[in-house]
Amino acid sequence: MGIRKYGEMELIDFQNVSKIYSNGTEALKNVNLHVDNGEFVFIVGSSGAGKSTFLKLITCEERPSEGEIVVGEQKLSQVKRGDVPYLRRKMGMVFQDFRLIQKMTVYENVAFAMHVIGASSRDIRRRVPYILGLVNLQEKADCHPRELSGGEQQRVGLARALINSPRLIIADEPTGNIDPALSFEIVDLLSEINKRGTTILMVTHEHSLVRHFARRVIEIHGGTVVADSCNWEARHDS
Amino acid sequence: MIHNVRYLIREGIRSIWSNRTMSLASIGVLVSCLLLTGAAILFSMNISNAMEAVEGTNSVKIYMDKDLPVLASLKAGEEIKKLDNIKRCQFVSRDDAIENVMEMLGEKDSTLLKDMTGSDNPLPDAFQVSFKDLSKYKDTVAQILKIEGVSSVNDYSDIAAKLTNLHRLVTTVGFWIVLLLSLVSLFIISNTIRVTMFSRRLEISIMKSVGATNWFVRVPFVVEGILIGLISGAVGSLLLRLLYDKLTGTLTSITLFAPLAIGEIQWKITLLFLLAGSLFGALGGAISIGKYLKKEGGEIVDW
Repeated sequence: MGIRKYGEMELIDFQNVSKIYSNGTEALKNVNLHVDNGEFVFIVGSSGAGKSTFLKLITCEERPSEGEIVVGEQKLSQVKRGDVPYLRRKMGMVFQDFRLIQKMTVYENVAFAMHVIGASSRDIRRRVPYILGLVNLQEKADCHPRELSGGEQQRVGLARALINSPRLIIADEPTGNIDPALSFEIVDLLSEINKRGTTILMVTHEHSLVRHFARRVIEIHGGTVVADSCNWEARHDS
Repeated sequence: MIHNVRYLIREGIRSIWSNRTMSLASIGVLVSCLLLTGAAILFSMNISNAMEAVEGTNSVKIYMDKDLPVLASLKAGEEIKKLDNIKRCQFVSRDDAIENVMEMLGEKDSTLLKDMTGSDNPLPDAFQVSFKDLSKYKDTVAQILKIEGVSSVNDYSDIAAKLTNLHRLVTTVGFWIVLLLSLVSLFIISNTIRVTMFSRRLEISIMKSVGATNWFVRVPFVVEGILIGLISGAVGSLLLRLLYDKLTGTLTSITLFAPLAIGEIQWKITLLFLLAGSLFGALGGAISIGKYLKKEGGEIVDW
């Protein structure tokens, strides 16, 4: 069903994964999929399809009821609770609602992500301006989030996700709260980051984006992967 | 590492300041708890002091039969000394006793008693006795009364019993009050910190998403609790000193009561308050954040 670039190293591997919540909801049913290093993957599906559960399983926020998930070289079933933070340091997360701390400046919001993993002040001073440059926000370093447009706020979120050099960026509907015109700008930026070797998993509802960027698309429906392909557009239109 | 510690302590202070109303409430309750604990301790120490005074200076007087020969009295005294609870036993002869009375009355009034010496002395031989343990007062007196030649024992049992009962009461009531207030303090502190946590849940969610360890998330809240505890300890100890000085000053001026001087034990009380305060604060903080991280605090995607 899906197209895999064989020969590349797998970053994410779902093997017969199911997730049933304690209230009986079956969020994922026997999911098998692979995401390779350096891929850019859109995750699409209606609300309640299981997309959030899919992300939660990757971040170890939830554990699968059945099956095994491998991220990098680590089997997540073997990752202890105390080791989860170290796994998450290899991932960067971008959220629909930006999740910026309003009382902090742009610089402080980005630096915060380094502070909390114990980076030194020297490293923070060196790295934050560099990352703000990557997302074109050097000029806004001293602004507070409320002084920025939605697109700019999401770029701050992206900078924060990138600051600890993750191998994987998980973007949960990153364009959901911004103007459609600016959405393309954000995905462009994600594409740029992807070109530098970072794997991107982006959950979205915007078909126009998916069509425009023509990347691999995984469609989840009712807890199962119903489509996994690079020519999702043609299949979806038909 | 030092940078991290500085960062975490700064975060703790920032939390107290940004959540100052609840922090003040916590400090208020904890100070009340510490004050009551301190008051119970000081009260108990004062009663012990008073009991020692009763045991020491207000020793019991044992009167012998009026016509008992001196030798028989001294023999009875030996038997009294053999009893377990006797700390000190001093013989007061009838001649000494009348002289003491005459001394007390002064030169002018003592002339009234000048004929009451020798065989006309109405006073009996006596023993001035002090006990080791006042709570065994009644038993010891009963044992003394059984000794041949003993006529009567002047009765301090009321004072002894009252002091013993008061000591027991203060210890028991103090224990329960302190226990109850400790639980209330713990509850208030953990709730104060929970409020801080909810106001910072966005930060916690971001911290968790970028890979902060639970330890790193937890420390600022524990620091906040410890700071609340330390402030409460310092304020409580100062207030206790002021209130105690004021109260004992008033009591000394209207009664003969000689209270314990707080100066000698002030540093011990301050240390105890600071330790207890910081322990309670740390515990309150750790309980709240521990509960939070187990439930809501772990959510990232659907925060």
